[in-house]
Amino acid sequence: MTGSKTIWDYVFLALVTLIYIFLMAPILLVVVLSFSGGEFLAFPPEGFSLRWFGELFSNARFLSATLHSLQLAAVSAVVNGVIGTLAAIYVVRYAPARLTNPLRLLMSAPLLVPEILTAIALLFFFFELGIGNNYSIAIQTGHIIVTFPYVFLNVCSALFNFDRSQEEAARSLGAGGRMTFRRVTLPAIKPGVITGCLFAFVISFDIFNISLLLKPVGMNTLPLELFDYLRFNFDPTAAAVATLSILVTFVAVLIVDLTVGLRSLRF
Amino acid sequence: MTVTPDAPRLHRRAPVWWMILPALVLLVGFLILPYISIVVMSFREASTKAVYGDGFTLAHYTDVIADPFIWGIVWRTVRTALIVTVVTLLLGYPVAYHLARTRSRVASLLYICVISPLLVGLVVRTFAWMIILSNNGIANSWMKALHLIDRPIQLLNTPLGVTIALIHVFLPFVILPLLGNLQAINPEIALAGRSLGASRMRTFFKVTLPLSMPGIQAGSILVFVLSISAYVTPAMLGGSQGRTMAVLVVQYLVDNFRWPAGAALAIFMAVITLAILVVYLRLTARAMRRLP
Repeated sequence: MTGSKTIWDYVFLALVTLIYIFLMAPILLVVVLSFSGGEFLAFPPEGFSLRWFGELFSNARFLSATLHSLQLAAVSAVVNGVIGTLAAIYVVRYAPARLTNPLRLLMSAPLLVPEILTAIALLFFFFELGIGNNYSIAIQTGHIIVTFPYVFLNVCSALFNFDRSQEEAARSLGAGGRMTFRRVTLPAIKPGVITGCLFAFVISFDIFNISLLLKPVGMNTLPLELFDYLRFNFDPTAAAVATLSILVTFVAVLIVDLTVGLRSLRF
Repeated sequence: MTVTPDAPRLHRRAPVWWMILPALVLLVGFLILPYISIVVMSFREASTKAVYGDGFTLAHYTDVIADPFIWGIVWRTVRTALIVTVVTLLLGYPVAYHLARTRSRVASLLYICVISPLLVGLVVRTFAWMIILSNNGIANSWMKALHLIDRPIQLLNTPLGVTIALIHVFLPFVILPLLGNLQAINPEIALAGRSLGASRMRTFFKVTLPLSMPGIQAGSILVFVLSISAYVTPAMLGGSQGRTMAVLVVQYLVDNFRWPAGAALAIFMAVITLAILVVYLRLTARAMRRLP
């Protein structure tokens, strides 16, 4: 920008600051209230205590829901890490030119259609297959589908940014195809794979609609358990649960930031 | 040996199509085929003994179209989604504009401010709005302290509460496409406008804003589709007054086991969304054709 700052620059800055605060405040509020010493979800909180986390960790339902969510997220991340990376390499490197765009569209499709519709579709589909809500295969498949594009798109962008002359150099030095892939290509796209997998993990951990319609009887995920809890209770235990789920997310984001940097994210 | 750009391809022996196979099986088998099953289900006959009967019928569609109650919910859902889209654009544009031009160390921190709400679960974010909007919540007690109101106003279980929370929930979805778009615009174009004597306002409205139309389009479509199909936020904050189409569909499926009717309603929702998007794309395409 040229010239000195005018009054309008300060008005603009104030406005933008307010919007940043609007974005972050509700989340910070939940975290602050989870450490409240009082009985109610009131702001400012009355004193400081960890009692609501104690409530949370003595609640068997929340603990088993957390484990289910972690398991679904981990499987989604690993499965998509493999098939999403393979698909991205094929689409960017080897697919016939006329197939590239249709394939990219298909691979991003779960991101482009509403999650609630995907959940309904899978509900009917698994019912017709006779699998229904008896096994966790339906819910797990739903989680894998919805988080697939995050791995695919991240690996694609890593491949686009990767200079292929490095591979040619390896080839000219006598490395075979497999060797080149393992020693040159894979390390180069690793940031994309890591980011994609962690994103798949984080998104899967928070998925709601898919879990609501596809969960087996008697199983709950953490977002569902919190949703159910809030129907009958409204106390700082819920804030503690929310804080726990925020913590899981932030640890994952921190790993991305420390390993590959946040700016490399693709949505 | 000479290295040509095609060298790796010449060395390749095994066909590589198997690499795409697992992903194809996943997406065709568990996304495309299931979507077809919604269409099939919507034509099934209702039954009291099973989730659907043997025959096929158009009755669920005629029921949906003839029901003024459903049209009321459609209108409310669309109106909410339109308001959310417009407000998120108005709030998101300045943020994207600011973030695209910030070069200092705070840029990463601000970027985290934008993406972290996206990563925190919907239930958690909506729960935060329950705390803020409840009758003795923060919004009401602050408005009372500022003497704006005497008695608490009802925000929870109203369409207004749902709208406020949805604006917060989907704001990052409009900021991120706009950010990518604005970062890609060469800043020298705006500088050229300025050096030719245009005021800063004029430069913005004549140069930057038209060039960012693709970002505006992408962001607004994303937010509109997400708002129409949002379930969690209306279900938690809407009560019976703020019920939206997605809430009604889930009620059909989960509470009443009316699967064929629910399927027809879901398709109705998708068709309305598509119809509005087609109109919107035509309008914005006309506006974008006038670009320099």
